[in-house]
Amino acid sequence: MSETTERRPSRLPLRDIVLMVMLGVVFGFLYWALVQAWNGLAVAMGPAGDLAQHVLLGGWLLVAPIAIAIIRKPFVGIIAEVIASVVEVVFLGSPVGPLLLVAAAIQGAGSELPFALTRYRQFGWGVYALSGLLGAGLVFVWSAFRFGWFGQDILALRLGMQLVSGILLGGLLAKVIVDRLYGTGVLDEFAIGRAGAADRGPVVRRER
Amino acid sequence: MTAVEPRAATEPGGTGPEETGPGGTSPVTTGSAAPTATSWLARRNPTVKAAILLAASLATLGFLDPRPLLALYALALVAVAASARVPARTLLLAQVPFVVFGVGLVAVNALSRPGTPLVEGAPVSVEGLTVGVALALRGLVIGVLTIGFLSSTPPRDLMVSLVQHARLSPRYAYSILAGHRMLAAMPARWATVRAAQAVRAPLRRGRPRFGLADAGRAAFALLVTSIRSSERIALALESRGLGERPRTVWRPVPIGRADVVLVLLVVAGWAAAVVLAISL
Repeated sequence: MSETTERRPSRLPLRDIVLMVMLGVVFGFLYWALVQAWNGLAVAMGPAGDLAQHVLLGGWLLVAPIAIAIIRKPFVGIIAEVIASVVEVVFLGSPVGPLLLVAAAIQGAGSELPFALTRYRQFGWGVYALSGLLGAGLVFVWSAFRFGWFGQDILALRLGMQLVSGILLGGLLAKVIVDRLYGTGVLDEFAIGRAGAADRGPVVRRER
Repeated sequence: MTAVEPRAATEPGGTGPEETGPGGTSPVTTGSAAPTATSWLARRNPTVKAAILLAASLATLGFLDPRPLLALYALALVAVAASARVPARTLLLAQVPFVVFGVGLVAVNALSRPGTPLVEGAPVSVEGLTVGVALALRGLVIGVLTIGFLSSTPPRDLMVSLVQHARLSPRYAYSILAGHRMLAAMPARWATVRAAQAVRAPLRRGRPRFGLADAGRAAFALLVTSIRSSERIALALESRGLGERPRTVWRPVPIGRADVVLVLLVVAGWAAAVVLAISL
């Protein structure tokens, strides 16, 4: 913490921080609704309920690529995931507890890596897919350790389900959402809007 | 550059903002008058509690033996019930999700882990059952501690304490608190979007249809309106001077000798439970 009030260029503007919080809150709220529905499914499926969760795993990765694509600064993916997990644990009372924060940081790092490698300049389908793949892959190691998956017969099945879910829900879906959000014009004041304005000419902004 | 001098002028002794507030020694009182707000645990420092919770959760990962975990679970139940004054009924009801999750863990591990069969011919292995029970107990221990933490810690105190004692940037802390407010408004927003959809929706047996695609559309509308309001909130916070240093803290959250006692109690209780369970 430096004592000078001079703004370092790496410091995030308050607008970007509040946006990350808001994304965390919205997805936290949607996850909460999703978890309620999923709990019923898990009980109905009995022993397979533990496995059924893997189908939805990619959904938990969404916040990071969306925040990165909008804000386009280093560490935004990790920070956004951790904020979302704070919202889940502290305000929504997620039963996973504080270990969710650790998982979130790992997920965020995995999701962010492909974007960091392109220096936050490329946002094509491939980068998003890789983001979902790495986010799911990295956190799988942590989950496997935490839930003792190593040594189980179904380890490969779990990994496969989570990777596919990561690519589809945690990668490609993020691009669909970001593109549609961009189309509405609400992102014009953020980095994605400025970059878009330079690349593609003026965007028709809808009236508020 | 220019803002450095007034800071030095307002803080002559170099004291932190936590010592300049009016309520430094009085017990913490918050807007929400929860019945548990007067419990011993509720008067402890939130940052210390959060650190203990994280450390304790990580420490459970070291065990794959059900005995110490069972002892820790029993100890945690008693400790939370006594120090946080959580009513027994609330404590039991809050366990339900963990128990459900635990049953799944036990079943999957018992069936899918190779080892000596429990009964000849049955697909259930002793090793799988042991690991499954241990994993389920891990979840229960972390769950009880989380319940104790959440029921004794108002979010506002946690955030102020993290700013004071954990060097969390106020910009993040106040943004998260603003997000907390928005979270409370989220169900109402969802209902508004749903009502607007229902007005335009085609009817099915006299009722508006609401399928998966409509849910997706409602979620997207929620996202768009939330991003718009995030811009407004950021503007409001910035116009109130957030982001300018230094800041003083209103109603600071103290850290004291009793917090050290809490840490020592947890460490001692933890060690005693583990040693006792393994030696028995």
